[in-house]
Amino acid sequence: MMVLETLLYIIAYPPLWQVIVIGLLGSFLTAMIAIWFERKAAARVQRRIGPYWASPRLGGFLNLVADMIRYILQEVIIPRTVDKVPFVLAPVAAFVVSIMPIAFVPLSPYEKFWPVPDMQYSLLIALAITTVPPLLAVIGGWASNNKFAVIGSLRESYVITAYELIFVIAVLSAAPTFLTLNVLHIVEAQSPFMWLAFLNPIAFLAAFLAVLMSTSAFPFEIPESEHEVVAGPYTEYSGILYALNMGGAYVRRFIYAVLISLVFLGGWAPYVPPSEGPLFAIIVPSIIVAVKALIVVLAMSFLRAVYGRYRLDQALDSAWRLVLPLALIGLGWGIALGLIM
Amino acid sequence: MSISEGTIGELRAKGVEVKRLEREYYEIFIGPQHPGSGHMRIIVRLDGDIIVDADPDIGYVHRTMEKLSEGREWIKVTPLVERMTIIDACNVTLPYINAVEKLMDKRPSTRASYLRVLLCEINRIASHLYGFGIFGVFLGHSTAYMWGFGDREVFLELAEILTGTRLTYTYHIPGGVRRDMPQDFPQMARRAVRYMRNRMAEYEKIFLNNPVIVSRLRDVGVISKTRAAELGIVGPTLRGSGVRYDVRLNEPYEVYSELDFEVPVFEEGDALARTLVRMEEIKQSLNIIEQAVDWLEKHRDEPVIAKEDYEKLPKLHKELYEKTGRVKLLPTQISMKVPPGKAVARAEAGRGEIFYYVESDGGVMPYRVRVVTPSARNVIVFKKVVPGHRLMDLPAIYGSIDYFPPEADR
Repeated sequence: MMVLETLLYIIAYPPLWQVIVIGLLGSFLTAMIAIWFERKAAARVQRRIGPYWASPRLGGFLNLVADMIRYILQEVIIPRTVDKVPFVLAPVAAFVVSIMPIAFVPLSPYEKFWPVPDMQYSLLIALAITTVPPLLAVIGGWASNNKFAVIGSLRESYVITAYELIFVIAVLSAAPTFLTLNVLHIVEAQSPFMWLAFLNPIAFLAAFLAVLMSTSAFPFEIPESEHEVVAGPYTEYSGILYALNMGGAYVRRFIYAVLISLVFLGGWAPYVPPSEGPLFAIIVPSIIVAVKALIVVLAMSFLRAVYGRYRLDQALDSAWRLVLPLALIGLGWGIALGLIM
Repeated sequence: MSISEGTIGELRAKGVEVKRLEREYYEIFIGPQHPGSGHMRIIVRLDGDIIVDADPDIGYVHRTMEKLSEGREWIKVTPLVERMTIIDACNVTLPYINAVEKLMDKRPSTRASYLRVLLCEINRIASHLYGFGIFGVFLGHSTAYMWGFGDREVFLELAEILTGTRLTYTYHIPGGVRRDMPQDFPQMARRAVRYMRNRMAEYEKIFLNNPVIVSRLRDVGVISKTRAAELGIVGPTLRGSGVRYDVRLNEPYEVYSELDFEVPVFEEGDALARTLVRMEEIKQSLNIIEQAVDWLEKHRDEPVIAKEDYEKLPKLHKELYEKTGRVKLLPTQISMKVPPGKAVARAEAGRGEIFYYVESDGGVMPYRVRVVTPSARNVIVFKKVVPGHRLMDLPAIYGSIDYFPPEADR
């Protein structure tokens, strides 16, 4: 019994569990499930079968593993004309930074399971870090020295300026409602079913749309729109670097979804973690959060089968004229809620 | 890149014309190896996100078809020219055969005419669905792509049952067609028509009424009525601009004058109108298919080649025709001589009017075959309509004119 307990404590050691298992492996798994679901759901709508032969019993899920192996083993071609250091570093750094926000949010109410000692400003810090990876995508595109990559990077930077503010405002609308910037308090205030998504659906919608835009999901798949700019900022990338870029978008989507599920979907609510034992105090609640995030990601993935892509100016127009006011209304609504509650 | 004044002086001294650009534009080469170009290159100059100049660089799939036609027998030209628009092979070969028939003063039997029209309309639907699918994926709508290509299969299979092959039919011969339809073909055709009518409603739901798609297409690539006439564009692109011109209507060939169909015309002239024209045309083609199979079912006794040809067939060939519905060509037909003269013929292919000029010097091969294809006439849209739009409008306009490079290059 002691052995098992000790082992659980080792697994639940915050940097290992929260950052590596939930952050890295969780986002890997989510990316794979999301891509698999995206392909399967789209295939269903489009009256195809989708991935199948790699593992017929799993619905072709292992196809994604095969794809990953291919990306890892593929030759990485670095063209002579690129600026080598930023070209190679940008996707790696973007991938790493994409996962980092998860280290600054609580996935358990108990301090011994937190990767950082204090959660006082966790919401602000996590939000701040989510804004870094798109800049690295721009750097990578710029270093590529390719016209399509430059246009893609430009589009990316336009889109960043449009959605970032929306996402920050929409998520921060939780702060005046619960009078705190501590994600832990926000989660606990929502327990068991006072979820902010129900209390403040406008801010939730704005955050959802902002995530769609930021991770270039349909209908906002603009920076890497294939039929004008090939693969946008990632045109010159190949092999594992390309995989990091494309996987990075899914990882960011997952991390955003974790933030959304903590702030809007009640985190580990309605489950109330007991204080004893790592299994029920950290592992179960963090898996609940991850599953909620996965559902959000899958909802985003499904849109690929339904929508085409907006034009750049239309997307920016709707971001500034429609979604930004929506986020502001959400913030006002949040303040009003805070005054009432 | 800047050049020093000294170099400019040297160049001027050599007689090179040097002009300073008023403003530097960003030039990108879309194609020939680009997911959004097809077999061509579009040289686009950008001012920010606005296209100031789009130069279609065509000719990547030029196969000298007109010249090659001069070196092969009359009948063997058909399998050559149908490869220029392989997705619309029936429609693009029909006017060639019509022109040859004019030279030979031969009329196809009515049954053959109906079979030709039947295959042409099946082919038109398949071609429009192909264009629709490509258009969908240009706008990032993968469902439209898959649906278009999936449903196209229905009509390719119909064509296969009728002719024995999916794409390169080589169905027409002077004076008739090479195969009669199978006994149970009308039922299959009617089932396909019913199926496609139901699908059209779903296409409208997911694509034509999709807010994202509508906002991408409305008021994009507008060609006014006069502008369309000036540019000399043809086909659905022209009818989307409100000009009522369709060869099937203005200069009926085969049995189109006996059939009841409408020519859809939209006034807006934008990419959405052009898409709607093609979708409406699919509906009209379905009507034509129904009428054609109705007629063919009632008149089973007529042969599928001209009466006088049928009587000339040897006994063995007649028996083969009675048994399988196949017309086996005689060696004399393959090396036939066409009386000297000149003839023109045109037809409405999927992408617009296709025109043939055929000249014979009385030999076993054509003296000259000249083709003017609809895509060759529509390519001007890139040059004249695209500038002023945003870069992301380029695929929307490209897809909406349903431009097919191999057809333009011949």
